[in-house]
Amino acid sequence: MFNKKYKDNKMKKYILTINALLFLAFSSIAQIDRSTPPEAGPAPKINLEKPQTFTLENGLKVMIVENHKLPRVNMTLLLDNPPHSEGEKVGVSSLTGGLLGTGTTKTSKDEFNEEVDYLGANLYFSAQSVRANTLSKFLPRVLGLMAEGALTPEFTQEEFEKLQQREIENLESNEKDVAFNAGRLRRALTYGKNHPYGEFSTPETLNSVTLEDVKSHYNNYFVPENAYLAIIGDVDFEKAKQLVEENFSKWNAKEIPEVDLPEVENVETTQINLLDMPNAVQSQIAVVNSVELQKKDPDYFPALIANQILGREDGRLFNNLREDKGYTYGAYSSLGSDKYAAAFTASAEVRNEVTDSSVVAFIDEIHRIRNEKVSEEELNNAKNKYVGNFVLSLEQPSTIARYALDIETEELPEDFYETYLQKINDVTEEDVQRVAKKYFKLDQARIVVAGKASEIAKNLEKIEFNGKTLPVKYYNKLGEEVEKPQQKELDASVSVEKVYADYIQAIGGRDAVEEVETVAMIAEATVQGMALNLSMKRTRDGKLNQEVSVGGNVMSKQIFNGETGFVVAQGQKIPYTEDQIKAAKIDANPFPELEVGNASLKGIENVEGIDAYVVALGENNKAFYDAETGLKIKTVQTVSQMGQTMSIPTGYSDYQEVEGVKFPFSISQAAGPQTFEFNVTEILVNEGVTAEDFEE
Amino acid sequence: MFDKIKLTACALLVSAVGVAQEVEFTEYDLDNGLHVILHQDNTAPVVSTSVMYHVGGKDLKNNKTGFAHFFEHLLFEGTKNIGKGEFMSIINSNGGSFNATTSLDRTYYYETFPSNKLELGLWLESERMLHPVIGQEGVETQNEVVKEERRRSYDNRPYGNLLQVVQRNLFTEHPYKDPNIGYMEDLDAATLEEFNEYFDEYYAPNNATLVVAGDIDIDETKKLIEDYFGAVPSGNEVSRTRVEEKPINNKVTDTFHDPNIQLPMFLLAYRTPGMATKDAQILDMVSTILSGGKSSRLYKKLVDDQKQALQVSAINLAFEDYSAYAILSLPLGETKLETLKQEIDEEIIKLQNETISEREFQKLQNTFENRFVNANSSVSGIAESLATYHVLHGNTDLINEQIEIYRSITPEDIKRVANEYLNENQRAEIYYLPKTDDVQ
Repeated sequence: MFNKKYKDNKMKKYILTINALLFLAFSSIAQIDRSTPPEAGPAPKINLEKPQTFTLENGLKVMIVENHKLPRVNMTLLLDNPPHSEGEKVGVSSLTGGLLGTGTTKTSKDEFNEEVDYLGANLYFSAQSVRANTLSKFLPRVLGLMAEGALTPEFTQEEFEKLQQREIENLESNEKDVAFNAGRLRRALTYGKNHPYGEFSTPETLNSVTLEDVKSHYNNYFVPENAYLAIIGDVDFEKAKQLVEENFSKWNAKEIPEVDLPEVENVETTQINLLDMPNAVQSQIAVVNSVELQKKDPDYFPALIANQILGREDGRLFNNLREDKGYTYGAYSSLGSDKYAAAFTASAEVRNEVTDSSVVAFIDEIHRIRNEKVSEEELNNAKNKYVGNFVLSLEQPSTIARYALDIETEELPEDFYETYLQKINDVTEEDVQRVAKKYFKLDQARIVVAGKASEIAKNLEKIEFNGKTLPVKYYNKLGEEVEKPQQKELDASVSVEKVYADYIQAIGGRDAVEEVETVAMIAEATVQGMALNLSMKRTRDGKLNQEVSVGGNVMSKQIFNGETGFVVAQGQKIPYTEDQIKAAKIDANPFPELEVGNASLKGIENVEGIDAYVVALGENNKAFYDAETGLKIKTVQTVSQMGQTMSIPTGYSDYQEVEGVKFPFSISQAAGPQTFEFNVTEILVNEGVTAEDFEE
Repeated sequence: MFDKIKLTACALLVSAVGVAQEVEFTEYDLDNGLHVILHQDNTAPVVSTSVMYHVGGKDLKNNKTGFAHFFEHLLFEGTKNIGKGEFMSIINSNGGSFNATTSLDRTYYYETFPSNKLELGLWLESERMLHPVIGQEGVETQNEVVKEERRRSYDNRPYGNLLQVVQRNLFTEHPYKDPNIGYMEDLDAATLEEFNEYFDEYYAPNNATLVVAGDIDIDETKKLIEDYFGAVPSGNEVSRTRVEEKPINNKVTDTFHDPNIQLPMFLLAYRTPGMATKDAQILDMVSTILSGGKSSRLYKKLVDDQKQALQVSAINLAFEDYSAYAILSLPLGETKLETLKQEIDEEIIKLQNETISEREFQKLQNTFENRFVNANSSVSGIAESLATYHVLHGNTDLINEQIEIYRSITPEDIKRVANEYLNENQRAEIYYLPKTDDVQ
């Protein structure tokens, strides 16, 4: 038994003297230095396979990449049509895409889906693309289904109406979603509402689309003129070519309608554009400007790096706004590249009270990267990260497909991705500053803020930039400029005492309410077809027992004894945090309105068409009382978790009398995108609650 | 030195039945006994370097448990040339990712890097094999870490002791009876000398398999491997004595109380043959029939149609010497565990008495083919498969040929194994219940 030898600084002598013979025998072995990590080799050249190509007579360009490593095939059919405005009927293309795959002229929807599943394949349709994945042995059948679904769709009135209704409901469910409205407004302002990238659908535009519109949209735009079909994986070129010809030759060539795209322009000077979202507890901030940048431009790689340093993971914005200042869970930027129009966007979601400070921080960081060179270390880290991300992404066959298509559709040189890493490495500090100045147009940017104007507008109006106060313009959700919203003034005669007294009076009067020592409530809601049961016991002296169960199984249980509490969920018993104790002290008492304590009147707000007085209880709780009836109609609790602030609104209605006191019998609570509508089935006053309910 | 190169010509044989999958690899031994497997795939500039040591939870030291898992931690402590804690920072600052895992049968260390860092990966793994620092300080640090892991993964995690309860019921002599992470009193009692002896016994190159997969040049990589690993001294041959268990002939019943759960679980567990046997693969198919997907027999019946179970799952826990076949179920609402037992038994009896339909059989074949194809879609996945097939199945070629075993399985085979292994008198019935008496 003998060992191969290498030369180690520390062992060298030993090897030479004791094992000189062996060493000679293996003298071809390189001398390696173990004491420090080996240097990396030169940046790897990307060995991207080249597609074999052919073009059908109808114009469809086909790219085939043979890769027999795994017996599977990925396919993408992409329509690289220039964007066009949908005008009065925005939404027609998404309806068209949504209807593809719901049946063909010869196969019903159910049969079509059954066949796809049986083959173990995946098949996705949209207005601009079709994607498929299959075991290679089922390629002929899956390619057949792909072509059948895409080229001979049967658009039925029934499916059309179902989808149209679903899309309208989707839109309506986003009505109060701050992020959704912020994004939509940002795009409309950046590109213009008449530009395909800036226009958006509304219930009105969706409603005006007819089945005939879908058919004609399909006939006009689902054509082979700008179509690419990429087939990657375990295929034989000749066989695949034959299959494509069999399935796609019948696709009729047709020129798509000519379109002129409107000009995209930036504003003359930097300004704030504010969308008032009265329900917002966080503001969506986005610094945006349009850019002309394409992948084929020499600036593309420096631009990637500049954006990486400013606003990708662990970038300057992240470190400033999150790590240093704690304003947000994350702050990022993106710089698009596109043949027709693109944008630079730096954005974050921040707490209401730091909205103006965050805007200032954004301005500072963008200003800095435009006016100072980045450090060598920052540059190298950005490059390393970019290289790493790029390298990892290459493992997925879908990435290879995307790159092959990019080269075709973006007019890139053939070796664009092979030389990608080299071009990243060639970027200099000077390049970064130059492109930052060119594309992060701080002097012509819109700072689009969606948030609660009554809390953030005043301070936003004071922000200075380049020695001048930034103008603030107000917009509505539809992207129309509007007057600054007027705040409703609170009548000087109203006080917390009065609001509370009116409420107690409205639910039955002080005498009746003071009789209530304990309240036991049982309520139920339906969630995804399952019954969700809520049992809540509360006492005047501030104790709470709450159980949530689904299908008879207790999902979570909370007990608060007035001082401490805990939650049991998923088998884990977790003690209340400080914040939870604070919240429980407010929640546990069924009638906090009996004593004013430290409650304060915040103003009058409109809650779904009703004027309501707003009373704050501590930092994180607010209650809303109908100015007319005196009844409590809503509470909002603000919860901070992992740096994200969430507000949990609870609505109360259908007040009914129990033992002389009115209780709400309908309670709705929103948790994220879901709303739970609870119907109260039973309320017991001064019975059904024992001391044991609040023990551990 | 012996090279075995898989030739694409072999694909002809397989393609006859419709599969063209071919993972090419080269395998050979260094003179010190290190088994090397190379897989070249230049599609993406990614390289995975990994070492699988044929040592796991079942390899005790002076009857003490938990050594292999302890070494999974200990061998990140540093080496002669790598300072304490630097192992991970070197990997991270070079854009790599890494991890290590220990099973009852083997330990696996791996890194993935951009391919220009290949040499770095080899240096790291050879340092670990050649001269890791095994000192009192590292042992003490890792002892705390492992205890914390035991608390997190076993004692504080709902159903965390499930596997251990299955093991102790199916095995009485074989070390599979003990938890992979070991008993803390064993690790507390272990001496530095024992750790050093354990290292010499199991971590020598002749008990290890190095896999380098991805964007490499075979010849260049062979040379680098010789440079970095050639000098690692060979160890004594590892002696393995397989402990034989007597067959289970009478039903075992066990109850375990877990303070971390609210819903009880009912388990049926059977001792079945080791992972390299054909019957183990057949049992994989039985699992799919019973609980793979929404149309599977147990899921459709208990969860979907009758709404008696929140969850039901049949799994073949495959180990080297034996396997453990478990069917676990969580009751829904008022359903009694006895009811679940009856319902599950009904399905097992059906498998024992009736052969599966042609359509179900075809569905199985499609499912397994898909699974097989997708198991090998990344270089790090291929690397681990190659290592596992060599170390635990003794046949690296299975990377391409295992699907043939599944293909050769017939509906009669399925009926046969159900009759051979899944009988009532051969099993453990385990009531895994919430512990309620000491919530305070």
